[in-house]
Amino acid sequence: MPANHYDAIIIGAGHNGLIAGAYLARAGKKVVILERREMVGGAAVTEEIFPGYRFTEFSYVVSLLRPEIIRDLELPRHGLKILPLPSTVTPMDNGDYLAAWPDHEPTRREIYRHSPRDAEAADEYGRVMARAAKAIKPVLSLVPPDPSSMSWRDMVGLMKIGQYAKSLSEKELYRIAKLVTQSSADLLNEWFEFDPLKGTKSASGIIGTFLGPHSPGTAYVLLHHYMGEIDGAFRAWGFAKNGTGGVTAAIAASARALGAEIRTGASVKQVIVKGGRAAGVALENGDEFHAKVVMSAADPKRSFLSFVESKHFPDEFVEQIKNFRVRGSSGKLNLALSELPQFTCLPGETPLHRGAISISPSIDYIERAYDEAKYGQFSKNPYIDMIIPSMIDRDMAPPGHHVMSCFVQYAPYDIAGGWDDTKRDAFGETVISTIERYAPNIRNIIVGKQVITPKDIERIAGITGGNIFHGELLLHQLFFLRPAAKWADFRTPLPGYYFGASGAHPGGGVMGAAGKMAALEVLKDWR
Amino acid sequence: MLETLELKRTPFHERTSRLSVAQNWRRWAGYAVVGSYELSLDHEYWAIRDRAALIDVSPLMKYMIEGPDAARLLHKVTTRDIFKMGVGQVYYTGWCDEDGKLLDDGTVSRLSDQSFRMTSAEPSLRWLAMNAVGLDVKVNEVTDEMAALSLQGPKSRAVLNRCCADRLDALKYFRLMNTGISGAPVSVSRTGYTGDLGYEIWVQAEQALTIWDALMAAGADYGITPCGILAMDMARVEAGLFMVDADYTASNHAWIEGQKSSPFEMGLDWTVNLNKKGYFVGRRALEQEKKTGSAWKLVGLDVDWVGLERLFAEVGLPPQIPGMAVRASLPVMAEGKQIGYASTSTWSPVLKKYIALAHLQRPHYEPGTAVTMEVTVEHHRRHAPAKVVKLPFYDPAWKKK
Amino acid sequence: MADIIVIGAGLNGLVAANYLAKAGKHVLVLERRALAGGQAVTESFGAGFQADVLHAGGQLRPDIVADLDLARHGLPESTSEPLISLHPDGRQLRLTADSDSETLASIGAFSKRDAERWPDFVAFMNAAAGFLDAAYRTPMPRLPHVKLAEGLPLARLAMKLRGLGARDMFRVIRALPMSALELTEEWFESDGVRAAIGAVAVHGATLGPMSAGAGFSLMHNWLNRGGPGHRRVENGIGGLANALVAALKARGGQLRVSAPVEAVLTDDQCARGVRLASGEDILAPIVISGADPRHTLLDLVGAPDLPPEFVWATQSIKMRGSVAKVHLLTDGAHALPSGTLVVAPTVRYVERAYDAAKYGRTSLEPYLEITANGPVVSIHFQFAPYALRGAEWSQERAVLERIAIDTASNALPQLKSSIREIKSLTPLDLEKTYGLTEGDLNHGQLLLDQMLFMRPMPGWSTHKTPIDNLYLCGAGVHGGGGISGAAGRNAAAAVLRGK
Repeated sequence: MPANHYDAIIIGAGHNGLIAGAYLARAGKKVVILERREMVGGAAVTEEIFPGYRFTEFSYVVSLLRPEIIRDLELPRHGLKILPLPSTVTPMDNGDYLAAWPDHEPTRREIYRHSPRDAEAADEYGRVMARAAKAIKPVLSLVPPDPSSMSWRDMVGLMKIGQYAKSLSEKELYRIAKLVTQSSADLLNEWFEFDPLKGTKSASGIIGTFLGPHSPGTAYVLLHHYMGEIDGAFRAWGFAKNGTGGVTAAIAASARALGAEIRTGASVKQVIVKGGRAAGVALENGDEFHAKVVMSAADPKRSFLSFVESKHFPDEFVEQIKNFRVRGSSGKLNLALSELPQFTCLPGETPLHRGAISISPSIDYIERAYDEAKYGQFSKNPYIDMIIPSMIDRDMAPPGHHVMSCFVQYAPYDIAGGWDDTKRDAFGETVISTIERYAPNIRNIIVGKQVITPKDIERIAGITGGNIFHGELLLHQLFFLRPAAKWADFRTPLPGYYFGASGAHPGGGVMGAAGKMAALEVLKDWR
Repeated sequence: MLETLELKRTPFHERTSRLSVAQNWRRWAGYAVVGSYELSLDHEYWAIRDRAALIDVSPLMKYMIEGPDAARLLHKVTTRDIFKMGVGQVYYTGWCDEDGKLLDDGTVSRLSDQSFRMTSAEPSLRWLAMNAVGLDVKVNEVTDEMAALSLQGPKSRAVLNRCCADRLDALKYFRLMNTGISGAPVSVSRTGYTGDLGYEIWVQAEQALTIWDALMAAGADYGITPCGILAMDMARVEAGLFMVDADYTASNHAWIEGQKSSPFEMGLDWTVNLNKKGYFVGRRALEQEKKTGSAWKLVGLDVDWVGLERLFAEVGLPPQIPGMAVRASLPVMAEGKQIGYASTSTWSPVLKKYIALAHLQRPHYEPGTAVTMEVTVEHHRRHAPAKVVKLPFYDPAWKKK
Repeated sequence: MADIIVIGAGLNGLVAANYLAKAGKHVLVLERRALAGGQAVTESFGAGFQADVLHAGGQLRPDIVADLDLARHGLPESTSEPLISLHPDGRQLRLTADSDSETLASIGAFSKRDAERWPDFVAFMNAAAGFLDAAYRTPMPRLPHVKLAEGLPLARLAMKLRGLGARDMFRVIRALPMSALELTEEWFESDGVRAAIGAVAVHGATLGPMSAGAGFSLMHNWLNRGGPGHRRVENGIGGLANALVAALKARGGQLRVSAPVEAVLTDDQCARGVRLASGEDILAPIVISGADPRHTLLDLVGAPDLPPEFVWATQSIKMRGSVAKVHLLTDGAHALPSGTLVVAPTVRYVERAYDAAKYGRTSLEPYLEITANGPVVSIHFQFAPYALRGAEWSQERAVLERIAIDTASNALPQLKSSIREIKSLTPLDLEKTYGLTEGDLNHGQLLLDQMLFMRPMPGWSTHKTPIDNLYLCGAGVHGGGGISGAAGRNAAAAVLRGK
């Protein structure tokens, strides 16, 4: 094969692109993965922004990475270690806290301290959600059929879904139907009474969406996060050794070992179309790559509105992609710290510092944070999910020093007047002063900070709108509607052009399912 | 600060921890309790069967149910006719979900017309509250506030008669009375989890140590022995008593339908009163099951010792079975097919038998049926001949006298 | 002795009673108030002060009108009104389902492009509403083990959806869970147009135009209204109920008013009649309740006789009404234009009005729907949450009336000076006087997780209850929500199938 000629080109070396490339290489295809930046990883990168302090810049936890991908690509051999992230603690305004551990007994005792009723409800709720997650899991690995089609393949797909639905018990089926349509606030209010508990649980229902916990549909996002899985154990979240960049580094190493080529600093300008088929890509610098198959692991907007001229797609498809919601709603604050933050409710160093620290005192707190965002402002009192990676992986910061990753919601991409440096600083300041209420020493121990707005996510990681899921997990953007009706099977209206990223079924998180499933669909079509 | 990460200590911890030579601690409902005080279970086991064994059962979940509708609540929750229950009576009962599958089992004691105490293995506050909607009743959990000791064994009555303010001779099986020990008010019920003569003593946590000391002093001449839960586990299998999440899966814990059990399947037919008036949870499903019969049944397995010995002899070994109750599922076969499983098996020191509680499918659960139970002989899977028997295995005449 | 007792002479109860009477049953309808109609009543608050108390308009489904031959029993005429959105700058946006030239010109003043898209939007909404109508007619069985006889209608419904063609089918599916803002953004560029449609979407619901799922409530309200504006009933909406009562009597059915039911009598989990507040017991082998599911099950039957999980599901039905009504008797010089007048100038305005309800406060700048009937002006007020935080409705009434009148007068300058008498209905009044638990007009919010086979509760979309021979026929069950009679029709069919 001549130089720059490949079996397959993958656009984007985020985790999905790398996984797709690795699977295709594993099947013996000659693959090149083209990455715009000088480093691989996409939104799953670890960067040493300040010397000695390593930031998990964007995504910061791992829960959803499919275990079969870890096994298939032999990621542990390439350095992947997922360290446990054992707990969640919610500081309360009265100086107390609410903690949760993976072991249900101490968690029960902990909740019991605050509400005996909720302690038992939490156990039962955990079981019900685990069963629902188990029940819905098979759907995630299905290639969504097109319900409007009469084709053999789609009819078989629809039948499979019918059989799947019949395999569920009545309770499971209704539970799922409710979870998909309900608001997380309503769901949690049915079960619990203690505000910090409800607030913390509702938070996972809004991550990556531009909705508040009172909005219908958020219960599904909550369930989506429940599907986190490490070594087959439901509900266990983890922190990857060396940050999420450690995950993509391992996948990249695996892909290379399988024969895939990865080129960084290779920004794709356009997909080359010949004879009505995708035939390669042209880079911004003019270089061309040719291949039988092109797959985009970029977000849907760039994949379909930027890389390919609209004339190659039906209007209806273009209209749907234009209407696809990619409203970024979250930002990040990454901190380099000279010592451990002292939380009023947790003096010293405790086991809880190894887990997540959540600023989510109540559902109303988060809903109010959303209210501001929907009118175009960042939240004055935001929801913050903090972890201290250096407490889990001692290699993340110099000895005795720490790094802290703060995921912040809401920060609207479309902020009134647009994002600028002043607003970014003000946003960072708001987050710090919010943390300060619970950890008064925070300001004095900061030796470096990085504030990331949705605009920065777009600029650095190349995700249009800065939405961490490449498109919100809204009911009308899931399954056979993700990213567009009739084109949820990883194929696109342009023959030879495939789509395998978070904007495809089954959606975001460092999950890798879309990349893997798309690669398998490419192989199915291979002639 | 993070005390919730530690196991809770029972009100008797100060005494039990000093006596525990073996440092064999077990988790029970979030508490640390003594598994066995000594390295061998023999002395503790035989205290249950021949002397008086003092067992700390404080981790049992305990609830006070009080108010004008207290009886109505328990009537709705449990399978027994609570309206017919007299003050001073104790009922053993299971309770079900709406599909007639067991959620848990425990005891209900009627303390007065409008006041009951309920014990359970799993937390039940939420279930009671859900059932109490529309009723004038208060449910309070008293697990931590109330200590519980089980005094079991043929000499238990004599020990209590020595230290209680009142004599217990008239206290009948599954009845309770209020009395005092060393000035501390206690409630004594003639109940237990061993199948022997025995009592359970309920006392406020602050007075727990007083009671412990008084009982140990009063029992010294009778050979009273602090006993861990492992010896009790052997005794309860002999008595044909089962345990939630060991011998059946609570229906709200089950992942799949097949893991659930109804009271009929657990041999609790005698506790299901379908003639009682009004609605109770699971009524319709239980009526249906009564009509069609149960697909499964919990029965006893009496393993044929000669047959077991032969399996070991074939490889040149003497029979080797664990000296304690084992909660591991063992397949049970008949005519070459698996027809069920044993959930707990144990060596019975008093019967000199290897016995098991087993779930068997219809029709194999009829007493007298010959089956085999899996045993591991020198790393190989073998099948020991066994016979289906009625529970309990051991039922001494003095238990109810 | 009656074969069937119907609790409540609301529209759904009367429709159910008529269908059953038509099938030859002896039906007795018991109404707690002194007049029949439930929410479809025209009442007098004093001399010359007569109003359609809760709904400014409505229509029974055409199949019900035909099946029950209501035209013969005096069913009044109704006419579709335009929706007129009032803007602070004096502009008025007129929306109708006819796409007449006046409508298009009015939209065109806001956006030329939007005026061009209006007829397509109306066609899409009509198709979506048509699908919803078919869905509301299709019995919703218990899932997932559906018998063939139940599965066929469902399959027909699915085919109807596919029959819309791929483009509209996906549009309908996508639109259901969308927010009204998202949906209208895909069609229109003018915020005024989006806001007016958003207002229709959240009418009667405790939702904002930015809430996910308002796409569905838009279709629902569009179906019941037959377009953006109300259908005003000639001589008052009470005429609908009067026709149904007349038809019932003609079919041999009985109606007893001022007969409040206090309890459903049961024996061994089977209904056997009702007890009135007077202590009188009336026995019948079948009881159908048109009251809302929570009241019927937890108050009339009682939680102690019901399975705990079912009780929990019943408690969890989201009611949380946030509609209040303010009726004004004027001297006639209010100078209101005719139509369904709406104060909902921007999407954010309506959303902010909803925000207040989320936190238990009355909207300071509410979304209003204002209609006039002679000298009487009726204001539909959103949002006034049933559960106020830090306030009681006894004091809040004055606040509500002031905000309603001030907001309406801002848009309609001559209104204020014309007012002579005020009669307001808070959500608490809706509960106390009209028996609407938590003041919810729909007996259960119009949310996707409370619709179709999840209405009123998952597993109980068959109109049955854990009490044998006790059926539900009110707005809170499948088909219900709004003035349509569909729930009553469906319940009657379920009763007849069940026998």
